[in-house]
Formats: sequence, C-alpha cells, structure tokens
Amino acid sequence: MESIVAENLTKRFNGFTAVDNLSFTVEQGEIFGLLGPNGAGKTTTIRMLASLIQPTEGDAYVGGFSVRDDALRVREIIGILTENPSLYERLSARENLEFFAKAYGVDEPKTRDARIRELLEFFDLWDRRGDRAGTFSKGMKQKLAIARALVHEPRTLYLDEPTSGLDPKSAKDIRDLMERLSQREGQTILLSTHRLEDAERLCDRVMIINHGGAVSVASPQELRQRATGAHVVRVGLRELTSSLSKAVEAAEGVKALDVKEGALSVTLADEGYTPGLVRSIVDAGGHIMYVVPLEVSLEDAYLKVIGGE
Amino acid sequence: MRWSKAFLVFRKDLSEVARNWEVMAPMIVVPVIITVLIPALVTLVPDSMSGSMNSGNLLETIIPNLPEAVKQTLSGYPEAQQMIYIMLLYFFAPFFLIIPLMVSGVIASDSFAGEKERKTIEALLAAPLTDSELLMGKILVGFAPAMGVTLLSFTLYTVMVDALTLGRFGFLLLPNLTWLVMILCLAPAASLLGIGATVIISTRVKGFREAQQLSALLVVPVLALLLGQASGFLIMGPAVLVMLTILVLVVDAALFGVGISLFNRERILSQSH
Repeated sequence: MESIVAENLTKRFNGFTAVDNLSFTVEQGEIFGLLGPNGAGKTTTIRMLASLIQPTEGDAYVGGFSVRDDALRVREIIGILTENPSLYERLSARENLEFFAKAYGVDEPKTRDARIRELLEFFDLWDRRGDRAGTFSKGMKQKLAIARALVHEPRTLYLDEPTSGLDPKSAKDIRDLMERLSQREGQTILLSTHRLEDAERLCDRVMIINHGGAVSVASPQELRQRATGAHVVRVGLRELTSSLSKAVEAAEGVKALDVKEGALSVTLADEGYTPGLVRSIVDAGGHIMYVVPLEVSLEDAYLKVIGGE
Repeated sequence: MRWSKAFLVFRKDLSEVARNWEVMAPMIVVPVIITVLIPALVTLVPDSMSGSMNSGNLLETIIPNLPEAVKQTLSGYPEAQQMIYIMLLYFFAPFFLIIPLMVSGVIASDSFAGEKERKTIEALLAAPLTDSELLMGKILVGFAPAMGVTLLSFTLYTVMVDALTLGRFGFLLLPNLTWLVMILCLAPAASLLGIGATVIISTRVKGFREAQQLSALLVVPVLALLLGQASGFLIMGPAVLVMLTILVLVVDAALFGVGISLFNRERILSQSH
C-alpha cells in the first residue's frame, strides 16, 4: 500500500523553482531516503508533504489525503522532525511533549502520560523531564525533538537529519529505532539526510534530488551498481598463472580482468555469473582463497550521480 | 474553530511568557510606577508637583471643561487639592491606557515575532492546528494577561488613591463612572489595538525586540489624549470614553482584518530562516 504519492510536485518562490515536477511513491513501512546537496529542494519537498506550504503545481497524497485539500488531516497523521529542533526552550522536556501530544489529539491523560514516559525513558531523558529544554545539550535537544515527532504514534514520519548532533551511541539508537519503527510497526519514514552511511544502512530506496528535480530513485544497492555499471568481484588465489588468467578471461559473463595486489579483479556483466567464474577457476586447477564482491560505496555512487548529472 | 486547541496554544504561550523576564519586567515595573509611585507623588508632594506642572494654567484649562457637578465639588477646595483631584482622576487617566497597550504589545511581540526568532514556529505550524486556532490562542495570550494586569493595577490605583486622599477630601475618589468606563470598555479595546498592531508588525519583522520597539509607538495616541486633556480640548468623561471605545474598536476590526490576511504559514516560515 502506498503511504506517500507525489504527483508532479512543483514549488516556485518568486520565479525561482525550488522543486521541479517531482513524482515518486513511498510504500507503507518503507524507509525512503531523500538525498541531495544543500539547496537541492529536500526541505521544500518535506514542507509540501507536511502541508506546511502549498505546491505551486501538482499534488501529493499522504495516507490518501491531499496535501493541498486536506492539510489538517495530513498534519494529523504525520510526525515531523524539522531542520531545527523547534523546541520551546523555556518549557520543560515533559511540557514540550505534553503540548504537542495534546495538539495531535492524544487527549486521554493516562495514555498521554504513559507515551511521554516511554519516549523520555527510551531517549534517556526521563531524569531530566522537569528541566527546561533550553538547558539541554544539542544531542539531548535532538532526541527530545524526535520524541516530539513520535509522541502521537504517527503512521508516517518525516525526519530531517535525525542523527545530526548526536554522539555515536545516540545516533545508533536512533538508527535502531527507525529500523524497528519501519520493520515491526510498519511506519513509513521519509528520511532526509547528508549522512550517506545512515541512508545506506536504513533506506529501502533513496531518491537523489538536485536543483529541485529527481536525478535518481533506486535502492542503495542499485545505485552503487549503476555507479560501477557492472558487478566486480575480487578473487584471491594461492598462485596466479597465465593459464588461470586465460581461463578466467574465457569464462561466461566476464567483461574485464585486472590483476591488483596479487588478486584478480573481475568485472562481470551480472552477479549471477559469479558461480560460473568460480567453477572455471577450479576447473583450470586454481586454488581459490577468497571471493569478495567489490562495491563502490553509496557516497561514491551519490557523488557520481550528482557530478554526472 | 476548536476552542480547546486555541486554549492549548494560549496556555503554552502563557507558560513561556511567565518564564521570560524580558516580558515580565515591563509588565510589573510600568504598572507599579503608574499605580503606586504616581499617586504617592501627587498626593504626598502636592506643592512641588503643582509648582513643576504650572498648576495655575492646568487648572484654568481643565476646570472650565469639567462637568458642572465636578466643578461644584472642586470649588470648595484649595488649589493644591483641586490639583490633586484633577491630576489623579483626569490628567493621569490616559497614562493608565498605557498598561493594556504595553502589556498586550509586549506579550504579542514575544508570542508572534519571538516564536519566529526562536525558530519554534515550524513545529507549531506543522501541528494539526488551524490558522484560526493558532491566531485565537495567540490573541488570547496577549489579551488575558493585559486585562488581568489592567484590572489589578486599577484595583491597586483605587486603593492607593483612596487611602491617600480620603483624609483630604472626606469621600472616596475612586471608583467613579469615568474610570469604570475606561477600565471596562476602553482598556479592552486598547488591549486589542496593541495585539492587532503587533500581529501586523510581527509579520514584517524577524525578532521580538524589533516588534516590541515598533509596538511601543502605540503610546503616541495616548500622549495625544494626554495633551488633549492638558489643553482642555478633550476631557475624558464617560461619553467621550464610550466614543473613544467605539473608535478604537473600529480600528481594531480593521487591524485584525489585515492581520488575519497576513497570517500566512508560508510567509511566516520563509521569515523564520
């Protein structure tokens, strides 16, 4: 089931096109990454999908509600972590969550209190619940802002740089939380991030946008593969002979062969040719020590996509 | 409009305001000056006050324009006491309007422009609250404390004035009809004027202080009233105050009409970055 459907979303500010004819869908329970350089249009896209600003052209449907015509319903069913933590610094952590829980319609006091406690305990903020948010560190503020986005248990979450400002342990906790929300609780997560390792680990699919338009939509693995254009494996051999090299060159699906640091670097047309390659080496009397798929990182793929646009 | 949501915004803003000394300080200091120091100075140092204010001229310009009953009351008193009466009940009356204007202006500046400045506005705008719920919550947070402080200040002023003058005059000067009309009719209208103007100002500025400084210009009409009284041109009796209330309410309606049309999420968001 589709959780988010964007159809030709376009936003112009005084003649400047911030988002240009963006169309994509996000399935229920999917973690969908939004990648792109600063000013690419990620925040504007999120703001349109949150019904904070109106599209100039096109429309989007979140949980079946139009961001144009059902703004209030859209805002009811989403949780959003904005670019800034947007916390009321003179209010305590608990007061911040209470206000937003009530604003999002968590009216039953017992349910509300239990939810607030659960979130504050999860984020290690329960002992500081009565302290003003203004006294918190950057990381604590970020955690409280994420707790605020989750307080009404939304089906769809928009997270803008959720691990920004967090120490490694807290960042890992947030990544684990996102995985749990997506896999166990079926929440849809739209993740805007510059941390490509977060996108690589978490996202089912990513959309790279630049100058307001979609450059590429694919899974991180597909993106990496597109960047190399082929599947590359590194084969370690006890001894490399010319007959072995010839046997590898002759194997089905082999596009190129290179010798690097005593190992073979073999470019295959598809990863499905890997077993045949192994068989050819063994048949030719070779002793294989290891076979490792060589992949470019998502960062390399991202830079290639952005650079080659 | 769901009133529970408007009150939610109101209570949240009130909690924030109560913890902000930049907002609370003028809300305490100005009323104390107007309600305690001024009557104390006027009654306890009548000779120095009358000398410095050129009491003869002031009495000559104001007394002829007062209602007959008041003129008769004053005719039996010496000049110093006439001066106290006029200063406390007429001359300083416009000053009292500074309280609802100032309090509502300061709070509305914090509530509208302050929220933009502190970058808390995006999460608030992303919450499922309608424009009218947000706006009403923020109007209430300017209005309710302004009227609370005004009523408290009037009570304090009444007690101070009566305590300081009962011995001299033999009757209670306050409350009287003029002051009741001013506090119960004109002050709420003035408070709404402060909020309406600040809503508009806040859409144009980025910060709390800028909004507060611009909304301070609202004391100009109060000074005009003061001059009007000092010159004898406009004596603030009940009828004049009712007319002023109607005039201010018309201006309020116009200001709120403009303010609501300017209350645009997209514009607010674009200014908060």
